[in-house]
Amino acid sequence: MSFYETIFIARQDISSAQAEALADTFTQVAQEHEGKVVGREYWGLRNLAYRIKKNRKGHYVMLNLEGTGATVAELERTMRINEDVLRYLTVRVEALVEAGQSVMMQARARGEDRDRGRRGGYGDRYGDRYGDREPRESEAPAPVAPVGGEA
Amino acid sequence: MREGREGGRDRDGGGRGGAPTRRPFFRRRKSCPFSGPNAPKIDYKDVKLLQRFVSERGKIVPSRITAVSARKQRELSQAIKRARFLGLLPYAMR
Repeated sequence: MSFYETIFIARQDISSAQAEALADTFTQVAQEHEGKVVGREYWGLRNLAYRIKKNRKGHYVMLNLEGTGATVAELERTMRINEDVLRYLTVRVEALVEAGQSVMMQARARGEDRDRGRRGGYGDRYGDRYGDREPRESEAPAPVAPVGGEA
Repeated sequence: MREGREGGRDRDGGGRGGAPTRRPFFRRRKSCPFSGPNAPKIDYKDVKLLQRFVSERGKIVPSRITAVSARKQRELSQAIKRARFLGLLPYAMR
C-alpha cells in the first residue's frame, strides 16, 4: 500500500454540493478497489490560471488516499469518463498530510487565497533573458551578405 | 565565417554603461533558499512559494539567478510543472 494525493478539478457550472458528491463517488470507487480515502479537502471554486475546456474557474478537490496501483488506475479511469472532471492529477507521496492541513488550506485560513497581482518574483529586474545568452535569430542583426556576390 | 561573430557585438561586461570589464565589487554568494534548517518544503500546491521562482512571463527562473541548488531546482521545476498542469500557475502570461 502506498499513499497518493489526487486532485481533480470539476466544471465551474456545477454547485459545490455536486462537487462534493463527485468526491463521494470517487471515494466509493477507491474503496471498491483495494484502497481507501483517508482525507478530503475542498478548495472551493478557484480561478484557473488559463482556460481549460472553456472554463475560467473550477472546483478543486483533493483526496488523500491509501491504496495500490489498481486503486489509482480505476480512480483515474472513472475520472476520465466523467465529463464534469476537467482535469486530475495523482501524485504518490511519502506521507500524507492531515486533511485540512495542506498549504492550500493554510493559505485560505490566513486569507491569502484571493487572486492578487504579482508579489515578489523575478522578472522586473532581469527581464526574461537575464542578459547572458546569445541573441535570438529574430533579434540578431541581419547576417552579412555572403562575400563574392557583387564585388 | 568567424569574423562575423566577433565583429558583431562584445558580449563581455563592457556593454553596460561602458564600465571596465573587471568589476571592482564581488556579489555576495547567496545560499540556496531551500537548504538549511526551517527551509520551506517544495510542494506543487504551494502557489505562493512557487510564484517567487517564475518570471513575469511565467517562465521558470534559472537557478543561477535564484541561487537554488541543482537538486532543489530539479524538484522545484517538477513542482512548477505540476502546478501549471492543475491550472494553479500559468504556462505563459501576456
